[in-house]
Amino acid sequence: MTSSDLKSVLNFSSFRSEPDDPSAAWKKRFPGKRSVLFGVGRASLSWQAIGKGGGTDDVETVRADPKEILTSSAASIKDKTDDGWCLVSMNTRYTISLENNLSRRPGSEELLKTNARSVLGGRYERGKLYAMTHNPETNSSLLVSFEEDQTRRAESMFREFGFRVGRICCGTYVLLRHALSVTNTSKGSDKPLSTLYVVLCEGAVCALVQDQDRWLELRSRTDVYDADISAVGDILAPFHARLAPEVGITLICDTPLSGIEEVLSSHFPGRAITDLSKPGLLAGLLTQN
Amino acid sequence: MQISGRFIDDFKTDRKGITPPLPAVLRLVPIGFYCAIAVAILLSAVFLLQYRIATQKRDGHRAQAGTLATQTANTLSERTALEVQIKKAINLQTWVSGSRPLQPLVVEISRSMGPKANILDLSLVRDENAPAQVALSLKIGTDSVRQLDTTLEKIASQQYRAFSPTQTLGQGELDYRATLVRQGPKQTSPADPVQ
Repeated sequence: MTSSDLKSVLNFSSFRSEPDDPSAAWKKRFPGKRSVLFGVGRASLSWQAIGKGGGTDDVETVRADPKEILTSSAASIKDKTDDGWCLVSMNTRYTISLENNLSRRPGSEELLKTNARSVLGGRYERGKLYAMTHNPETNSSLLVSFEEDQTRRAESMFREFGFRVGRICCGTYVLLRHALSVTNTSKGSDKPLSTLYVVLCEGAVCALVQDQDRWLELRSRTDVYDADISAVGDILAPFHARLAPEVGITLICDTPLSGIEEVLSSHFPGRAITDLSKPGLLAGLLTQN
Repeated sequence: MQISGRFIDDFKTDRKGITPPLPAVLRLVPIGFYCAIAVAILLSAVFLLQYRIATQKRDGHRAQAGTLATQTANTLSERTALEVQIKKAINLQTWVSGSRPLQPLVVEISRSMGPKANILDLSLVRDENAPAQVALSLKIGTDSVRQLDTTLEKIASQQYRAFSPTQTLGQGELDYRATLVRQGPKQTSPADPVQ
């Protein structure tokens, strides 16, 4: 035992999760600390300051190379944080797919991080990072994959500008899981939900068709829209013909998008739209969990 | 269907050597440590206060002890002086008591002095080994031997008999020495006063 260990016990820091500990919730790792959420797109960078109490500022988005943006704005953004800690939502160069018959052995989700090949088998691709969510009622699973180099480059880039990356995640995947969790709350329900989940996050679009307890189809694209959200409709339009007439739409965006309901209504006339979006939703999810 | 949305998949590169937080119950260790420090400080303050009070009391007691020691020394010296006085008084009392049997003899010797005679020196010494014998040494300022006869008659009236008398007549002085021996208890009549 060293003096630093004694010091950490006496100042109670040993009883808190380390800032780098990914298994701990953000609020436990940084209680009462300010941080910032970055959204990294292919040619855009957004940031949203998160206050000590979890409150969020408005999202600021700049369309340019993220590195160039950080070169000019890193100092002012860093002033909004304590010790430079930040969260990163990767909104580009990822893949979300619907898979069947993935391994569901106990601990497979943890094993996916260390030995993805043993879980994914033939679906494994070298140099990729994976995360998955199983459908508890069927054999289908959502699988999200990242280029490992991409996340490493992002970490290096933020570290280069004095930021300390506490978490890197896929914002779209986080929002999709949140939408699934809040709409599928009862186990073994007599009337399972059938809906089309539409997730929009910083130019990325993901759509998942759920028919009762089954996930039927998933489509995910990145860098689909920027200021003009009309392109979203083009991605989603093919689902209209395949959905039953009574099936509604569950919409969730990282922050409310003006005009999105009109776009959806034009492509899905007569369907009910349930909007789960609210300001600072993604930042709230990432810092509360 | 039930899906938990509380878990966030993290793609950050894990740092080596991340340790999980210690169990919350172990917070009692630093809490106890700080409590012990607080109690130690409190007790130290109390003990310091008590130490100061005790020091003040000790100094007061020492000063009082010094005063009392001085008073004791004074009292002892006074007592020593009193004891000397008492010893003197006892000696005087002893002497008075011891000389009481000789007082009638001394009185008769004194009364025997005529108008032209006076006692220059009178010494009566009782022999410790023979208390019945008293060595008489009498120096009378007189030119007449008759005075000595008168005195010897008075001595004889007190039931003392002179042995080995020596007398020397000088110029105006008569020196007489003898050993007086009491002849027996005096036959006192009921009318005589008790001495």
